[in-house]
Amino acid sequence: MEAQLKAMRQEALRELEQITEIDTLTEIRVKYLGKKGQVTSMLRGLGQLDPSERPRMGQVVNEIRTELEECINAKREALKALELSHRLASERIDVTLPGRKPLIGHKHPLTLTLDRIKNTFMSMGFNVEEGPEVETDYFNFEALNLPKDHPARDMQDSFYITENILLRTHTSPVQARTLQATEPNKPIRIIVPGKVYRRDYDATHSPMFQQVEGLVVDKGIRFSDLKGTLELFIYEIFGSNVGVRFRPSFFPFTEPSAEVDISCVMCGGQGCRVCSSTGWLEILGSGTVHPRVLEMSGYDPNQVSGFAFGMGVERIAMLTYGIDDLRLFYENDMRFLRQF
Amino acid sequence: MLASINWLKDYVEFDQRPAELADRLTMAGVPVATIEELGKDIKNVVTGKITAVTQHPNADKLSVCKVDVGREVVTIVTGATNIKENDIIPVALVGATLPNHAEINASELRGVMSNGMMCSTTELGIDSKLIAQDVRDGIYILPADTKIGLDIKEVLGLNDIVLEFELTANRADCFSMIGLAREIAVLTGGSLKKPMVNVREAADEKIGRLTNITIEDSSLCSRFACRILQNIKVGPSPLWMQHRLQAAGMRPISNIVDVTNFVMLEMGQPMHAYDYNLLAKHSIIVRKANPGERLTTLDGQKRELTADMLVIADAMQAVGIAGVMGGLATEVTNRTQTVLLEAASFNGASIRRTSRALGLRSEASGRFERGVDTANIMRALDRAAKLLEDMGACKVCQGVVDNYPNILLPKQVAFTPEQINNYLGSSVEKSTMIDIMKSLEFQIETENDKILTTVPTWRGDVSGLADISEEIARVYGYNKIPSTTPFGDINRGSQDYTQSIINTVKTTMTGAGFDEIISYSFSNPQVFDKLNVPENSPLRDAIPILNPITDDFPILRTTLTGGLLQTIVYNLSRKNEDMKIFEVGAVFWPEKLPLDKLPNEHLKLCGALVGNRNEFSWDSGRDCVDFYDAKGQVETILNRLGISEYEVSLGEHYSLHPGKTAQLNKDGEILGIVGEVHPKVLDAFGINRKVYLFEMDIECLTRKAKLIHSYSPLPKFPAVSRDLAVILPIEVSAVDVETAILKSAGSLLKSLTLFDVYMGEQVPAGLKSMAFSLTFQAQDRTLTDVEIDGLLKNTIVHLQETFSAKLRE
Repeated sequence: MEAQLKAMRQEALRELEQITEIDTLTEIRVKYLGKKGQVTSMLRGLGQLDPSERPRMGQVVNEIRTELEECINAKREALKALELSHRLASERIDVTLPGRKPLIGHKHPLTLTLDRIKNTFMSMGFNVEEGPEVETDYFNFEALNLPKDHPARDMQDSFYITENILLRTHTSPVQARTLQATEPNKPIRIIVPGKVYRRDYDATHSPMFQQVEGLVVDKGIRFSDLKGTLELFIYEIFGSNVGVRFRPSFFPFTEPSAEVDISCVMCGGQGCRVCSSTGWLEILGSGTVHPRVLEMSGYDPNQVSGFAFGMGVERIAMLTYGIDDLRLFYENDMRFLRQF
Repeated sequence: MLASINWLKDYVEFDQRPAELADRLTMAGVPVATIEELGKDIKNVVTGKITAVTQHPNADKLSVCKVDVGREVVTIVTGATNIKENDIIPVALVGATLPNHAEINASELRGVMSNGMMCSTTELGIDSKLIAQDVRDGIYILPADTKIGLDIKEVLGLNDIVLEFELTANRADCFSMIGLAREIAVLTGGSLKKPMVNVREAADEKIGRLTNITIEDSSLCSRFACRILQNIKVGPSPLWMQHRLQAAGMRPISNIVDVTNFVMLEMGQPMHAYDYNLLAKHSIIVRKANPGERLTTLDGQKRELTADMLVIADAMQAVGIAGVMGGLATEVTNRTQTVLLEAASFNGASIRRTSRALGLRSEASGRFERGVDTANIMRALDRAAKLLEDMGACKVCQGVVDNYPNILLPKQVAFTPEQINNYLGSSVEKSTMIDIMKSLEFQIETENDKILTTVPTWRGDVSGLADISEEIARVYGYNKIPSTTPFGDINRGSQDYTQSIINTVKTTMTGAGFDEIISYSFSNPQVFDKLNVPENSPLRDAIPILNPITDDFPILRTTLTGGLLQTIVYNLSRKNEDMKIFEVGAVFWPEKLPLDKLPNEHLKLCGALVGNRNEFSWDSGRDCVDFYDAKGQVETILNRLGISEYEVSLGEHYSLHPGKTAQLNKDGEILGIVGEVHPKVLDAFGINRKVYLFEMDIECLTRKAKLIHSYSPLPKFPAVSRDLAVILPIEVSAVDVETAILKSAGSLLKSLTLFDVYMGEQVPAGLKSMAFSLTFQAQDRTLTDVEIDGLLKNTIVHLQETFSAKLRE
């Protein structure tokens, strides 16, 4: 019997060796280890042996059974691994082909720029206010200390609708609107984004463009507060390495007035075409609110003071993205819009 | 305003280089735009005298000249015809350079050596506007008394540097050489030298007997003064004065005119000279123009005057438009013997209106608009009289007529250094403030902490503390003032709800592949025809602009759709063929035209789709958008804004396909409309493919939106799904079937999804199959099949009764 067992073991191992398919593995298992398998029948045959032989032979049969089971399992794992590696090899693709992209839209570069400007000022406690684009002469000019026939009106060539109604030339009328809508002398801290209109059209002027106006009114507001606030804003938008200078200027609704220049972001202040070789770029107009403007809107300039500023959103966007033609913003060419 | 460095140095000494000076002025609020070095490209050009002119032996059209240039006599061959012996002319010697970058070499012309070139004004780079007509053409013939051998730059005043100022409207005082020189003196520590104005009055006659001046409206003319000059000798003004005027961009004309211009540039006071003998009754009346009155101005133009224009008239008629331009009839000419010289002050706003109405702007009108120094009028008048007297051009009659109805008193402002420092946030010393104010010629009196200052008459822009602060700040230096942040309570910045809605809409749109566009608020009425807008639609009542920038844009838009379709046209022609675009912006709807109050500005969202549905991919073909992409986008926006339970129905819109237009309503308000663009509209725009469009009202969305809503707890018991396919007539719309199911299936139905619509061979003609997936769920138990079968049966019965639907087996 022992010889028979050895032969069976050898035969089984040989057969296992030759197997290449997982399915045949089951046949082998049935053949040897199944209910009617050879090993099983050997175990059954143990009863006919001499009782003194039984324990030893039983152990031998069991060892063979365990060994065969392990070998079958090992073979199964090996075959599975082989099969998987074949499958993986056959499934190889050209990973350099382009991926399938979801369609993603783009916000307009002016919206993106405006969002940055708004977020910067909102973090400094400014509320966002808006006003009408078609405006009265009173709010657009007179309430801002720009009476009729004032030479400073030349600074802004307007689109008129009637003698007293026009397309607003700046977002500043919302200054007067907000002052008049607020209880006198109460603090105000607003920015006003919006479209404005002037009769100009070339590579650096568009008849419609966007501005952001700012107004701060409170007790004890100083010119130095204007400087500090605008410097913070500029560093946030253009980085803290940019140079900033305040240059005296004139706006009828502020006194003192200042234009704010930053060192040219194109040439770093060396002088180039963009900055007309001056090394500086004008980006903001600003000033301490003129007492007359406060007075006309019911605020008392002896009790409160304030500062105001205004900037062109296109200008900031052009400098941010290196855009050299203002007209691109309103042509809506997809090849332009999809770059942002 | 142009100002030459040489001229400025007549009034103030300084040694800063022009670039440095320009920078200091700019940083003190007197901005210099450009610095131009006159004659910088001219080298080795001298004055020479032609000593002989002979015919060129080998060329008919050339002459050979001997020219004495001082240290030698050179031979020059020329084709010029306006020269003769003894003429003094500019000679570019061999080796010379000229502004057009030409270098002069010795050259042989038809066998004769030419050692130089005689120059025209053009070749010297002189603007022809700045020189008299008679020397513009041909070689520049210089005055006969010009010395020879001199550097031409010296002779023509080209050794100079000109600063171009871009002055702000408030600084009227800087529109004069003295005003600019004062700023330079303040900034460089120099002292200002003002010209002498002592007139000799050598004529015997007294002015009182010679003329009288009447001002009819002193609100329009606050002062009118004149002198009378006799024994007039009209001739050219001295070269130094001509050069000054040319550097300032003005053409020398004659001594009389040049002096009036010179004094205007020097002191900022416009002046005018009349031929006294041509003034009817030798008198002057400052009055408004008579209705229908006409005047030919100095530029030869006949002007129609209106009754609100101020004129200077003699006893008969208008002889000048006050402050704008004089009349041709009383102009000073070679025959003039006596001159009435005017210096006056007119109302700026009135001058501005007149000058705008006539389309006539002059150096004078610009200065009056900003305001002249009324107190300085007599000095200006005397300065002009003295200059002419010194030139020997006249004798000045004794006395002046000075009609000055309301004498202007200087303004006074009181302040304390503390007030200024509080206003600026600075800590400027009191003594520094006083020094600055004094250097600007403000008179100062101090009393303890208080400073009382008298504002110079030329500073009409200064009247209060804010103005004083600016004067101190700009001279002290804006950049020396510290940077601080405002005091005050902590404030949280926010935006209003509409802004948040717009942000959500834009983010949803771009997340879904839509690109944002911004188009002009201007439009054109033709767009209404293209959009198929009915003749009687209020959309056609667009607001016209009185002065549009081009004929393309005469109105304000009443709809965004035109702009979107225009954008599609623009891009299709540039081979951008797949577009999903949107715009959020205002449309302008007047209540009444012409406007008597501000129009309604409505914010709209408008989207358009054309071309491929998805981003192009190498393994999928073209798959174009259709109606349901557009509608799906509208539904997505409503979903993002938390708007549900709206009704959808077949809609009507002039620009959209009548069978492919859906309208979305909630509580009787239109949330939006979506559809395929009408083929007629596509044709009108020249678009050869299908476009889908939707429009929503932002204000309506804002009213309905719920950006933050409470959550629904997740179910604890399992859901059961059943499919239901019914066959029903084609005309029955999906929304009606859905409504019927929702109504009949009971509250345990948690979701209903249409997953198939079929028309074709498998179902009889005129019918369609619709397949829905129904999901049932209870909050408190697991549903049994019996329960669900019962609910489904109700539904089927209801559908059978309502639509004669049959269950599809």
